[in-house]
Amino acid sequence: MSMTTPPLFQAHGLTKIYGAGESEVRALNGVDLELFAGELVVLLGASGSGKSTLLNILGGLDVPTEGSLHYAGEDLTHADEKRLTQYRRDSVGFIFQFYNLIPSLTARENVALITELAENPMSPEEALTMMGLGERLDNFPSQLSGGEQQRVAIARAIAKRPQVLLCDEPTGALDVKTGIAVLEAIEQVNRSTGALVVIITHNAVIASMADRVIRFSDGRVANIEQNSQRQPAAALSW
Amino acid sequence: MRPLDLKLVRDLSRMKGQMIAVALVMACGLAVMVMARSLVLSLGGSIDEYYQAHRFAMVFSELKRAPNTLRTQLERIPGVAAVDTRITGALRLDLPAMKEPADGVIHSLPDDRPQQLNLLFLREGRLPEIGDRYEVVVSEAFARAHGFRPGDSVEAVIYGARERLHIVGVGLSPEFVYELQPGQMIPDPKRFGVFWMNERKLASAFDLSGAFNSVVVDIAPGANAQAVMAALDRLLLPYGGQVAYDRSGHVASKQIADEIRQLVQFSIAFPVLFLSVAAFMTSAALTRVIRLQREQIAQLKAFGYSSAAVGWHYLKFALVIVLLGSVLGSLLGLWMGQSMTEVYKRFFQLPGLPFRPDWLALALGFLGAAALSLLGVIGAVWQAVRLPPAEAMRPEPPAAFRASLFERLGLQRLASPTLRMALRNLERKPWQALFTVLGLTLATAIPILPGAMSDSIDYLMDFQWNQAQRQDVTLSLIEPGSASALSAIGQLPGVMHVEPFRSVPARLRFEHRERRVSLTGMGRDSQLGRVLDVQGRAVAMPLQGMLLSEKLADVLGVSPGDTVLVEVQEGRRPVLEVMVVGSITDFAGLGAYLDIDVLRRHMREGGTLSGAHLTVDKAYWDAFLAKVKEAPRIAGLSISANVRASFEETTGEMMGIMQGIYLLFAVIVACGVVYNGARIALSERSRELATLRVVGFTPREVTGVLLSELAMLTVLALPFGLYAGNQLTQLMVELSSTETVRFPLLFTTRTYASAVLVILLSSALSFIVIGRRIRQLDLLGVLKARD
Repeated sequence: MSMTTPPLFQAHGLTKIYGAGESEVRALNGVDLELFAGELVVLLGASGSGKSTLLNILGGLDVPTEGSLHYAGEDLTHADEKRLTQYRRDSVGFIFQFYNLIPSLTARENVALITELAENPMSPEEALTMMGLGERLDNFPSQLSGGEQQRVAIARAIAKRPQVLLCDEPTGALDVKTGIAVLEAIEQVNRSTGALVVIITHNAVIASMADRVIRFSDGRVANIEQNSQRQPAAALSW
Repeated sequence: MRPLDLKLVRDLSRMKGQMIAVALVMACGLAVMVMARSLVLSLGGSIDEYYQAHRFAMVFSELKRAPNTLRTQLERIPGVAAVDTRITGALRLDLPAMKEPADGVIHSLPDDRPQQLNLLFLREGRLPEIGDRYEVVVSEAFARAHGFRPGDSVEAVIYGARERLHIVGVGLSPEFVYELQPGQMIPDPKRFGVFWMNERKLASAFDLSGAFNSVVVDIAPGANAQAVMAALDRLLLPYGGQVAYDRSGHVASKQIADEIRQLVQFSIAFPVLFLSVAAFMTSAALTRVIRLQREQIAQLKAFGYSSAAVGWHYLKFALVIVLLGSVLGSLLGLWMGQSMTEVYKRFFQLPGLPFRPDWLALALGFLGAAALSLLGVIGAVWQAVRLPPAEAMRPEPPAAFRASLFERLGLQRLASPTLRMALRNLERKPWQALFTVLGLTLATAIPILPGAMSDSIDYLMDFQWNQAQRQDVTLSLIEPGSASALSAIGQLPGVMHVEPFRSVPARLRFEHRERRVSLTGMGRDSQLGRVLDVQGRAVAMPLQGMLLSEKLADVLGVSPGDTVLVEVQEGRRPVLEVMVVGSITDFAGLGAYLDIDVLRRHMREGGTLSGAHLTVDKAYWDAFLAKVKEAPRIAGLSISANVRASFEETTGEMMGIMQGIYLLFAVIVACGVVYNGARIALSERSRELATLRVVGFTPREVTGVLLSELAMLTVLALPFGLYAGNQLTQLMVELSSTETVRFPLLFTTRTYASAVLVILLSSALSFIVIGRRIRQLDLLGVLKARD
């Protein structure tokens, strides 16, 4: 990845404090970080190390207590709720451990729900076919396996062609085989759309498919590792 | 506090909005029940005690004149426990404060023997004593309306003679618990009063010395009232006796009995409706809570709590809500009952009308509400506790959906994803949807009632005073007058148009049914006093046969073409067979009408009249009234404008109270049902909604997703609600339709529109509250949580 292009995200002294006084928790404690378009980044760290908090702030679900965050040159630190909603709507795709599909909508409709909001989306069929679900367009979530549901969630996240794809433990609820299939799908999105992909995981094996691996500890970046070669997801096993 | 109870308190405080919504709906039902039952107890109890203590007679009979010696014979009728003979008559009062005369009736009090029946209750002063002066006791309502106290005096025309009546006491009689002037729709204490005077004094005034013209009788326990009345009729017939009647034919007694009957019906219908809706709301809310707490239930059981203990814990949720609803409902009901008692005090003249709370009704209401609510949640509780702990700790399988009927019909292209979600959700939970619709139907129906009633009263007033009775004044004569009386009336100052009428008391019989009514002869093409058909068109008097009020035809069971036996109770007392040729529409009393000349022929009379309807030139109004006050042969006059104003005032006030209460109830039910439904939906689908927020839906869009479902149900409920309101009003009008007074049934667009508006505004209010909760949705917390 070229580090000469301007970064997509620029974080300076990013700090998030929950609670106050005795019960004060510093979830993030002064994080400086740059993330670039097109790269695939894995965030590793123990529970409570701050990686999820960072993801939430990057995704516009939360705002930092101190420090600053810029996205494509725009200051998100002081964005209001309305602007953050717009930001999520236009630029960010989310994938969660629990797929969070709307149970009353079919696979196709779950995706369509998002593409209706977007400026220049793929068609729901295209997104789902990309995820290998071309045959299951009209199935409801309750008729799909866990892996299939997660792939619908990915299709939903990528259909609007986001600049950023944020994945929080995307394989956490899946078996190895299905997990790898899901990672392949994410990898494919990264390669074909050029989106910045950030994956949070407990699973260190996944780190080898990343361009960069960022380790978190106590709310700080412990180290950043550049992989000389990305492993294809298909080659992983755990 | 035990930990489980602590959990109960905390869980309930988290759902306090829903708890209050359900409790309020419940409170409405219980309030009506407590109010109505307490009023039945208060009114019924007070009236029973009054009748008992003041020995209200059981049988009544009017006659022309019979010697006092006949009394012993009356006392000997088998089954008679007590007899009072007396003199009654009309009088006209000349009150300085009023331009027009007021009317009254006067009754004698025995002075040579103790009074047996209808004993007076003296509020102040004393009974009249024998002397030179005309001493009277005056009825309390009239005294209060004019500020009369013992020591005051009033000018009256008794049987054509002008006398000064000295008020020595203010009192009440069980005979006049409802002081309604004959022929009027509601009491007007300013223009009608009751007086009591010594027998000897009154006898000389009415030229009835040594005689009586009215009998009241008490029947011995177990005796046959019909037999007594028949014997009475036989004995009194030679003395001009009219047929005897019992309490069911006594205007005041009947009025109060009708009122109590209506309260009883009211106390059943309303609570059942409201409590059913409340029970459904409890059920829906608690079923959701239990579903959410599936894992907690499993844990409790894993720790060793028995199924019974856990089940009881969840039943307590319902009980707390019922308790809250009962307390609110009781307080509201007691307050409403107390206020209504004050209103009743103005309509019903009783020595006292203390408010008696019906604690039994309260207890029954609580038990009923508790039973209904427990019934609603017991299924969910049972399901929850039956589950083995290990299984319960696993999340519930994901909800299964399928394409909605709408889409299976191939209409999916018409529906946006949001609409599809709503339709599929509704189809997946048809019962919840059905009950929500039922609740909203009830909420829509309630405001129809006061709207329709208010329109009904407007219509009635127009019908009565613009269409049917177009006279300015109705005069009645002491004794039937002749053609010369008619011309004398025509010569009163300012009189522009005169229409005579002749009315005689008569008993109408058909098969085994009978009623005592006033048979009225009217001019064929009357322009002032008219009878109208159901469309409000004037009906001309037939050349042969008679017309009956719809209600009278209904009561007697006759249809046009039937022949009714008419026993006239006046003059030569002809017994006639008259064919019913049609029915007419009226809203007060029972009437029978025929051509005035036909009636005169039956009576073998010339150009007689009992009174006349007049129009009077307003320029001569004062002169006209002054002259009427002087005229000795005029028994009474009724000024249409005054009657109308007093009717408007009385009903207007009542309608105001009713409208307020019904509106409040409608808003509570609508807000309660919508809010409860929305809260449940919010809790069931918070994860879904949070997802939408995360992917970029605005709070407004998310609110739209959640509420489109409820909005659909609201719209769906509207037509049902309007229909139900229509039916409910019809039922209420039927229930409140008596032989004394009835209300027309009519529905206007305005009524329907305002009901729709009430529901839409209430729903909008609930939507706003829910919208705020959606804004506060904890996006991260919800998404991180496992389903």
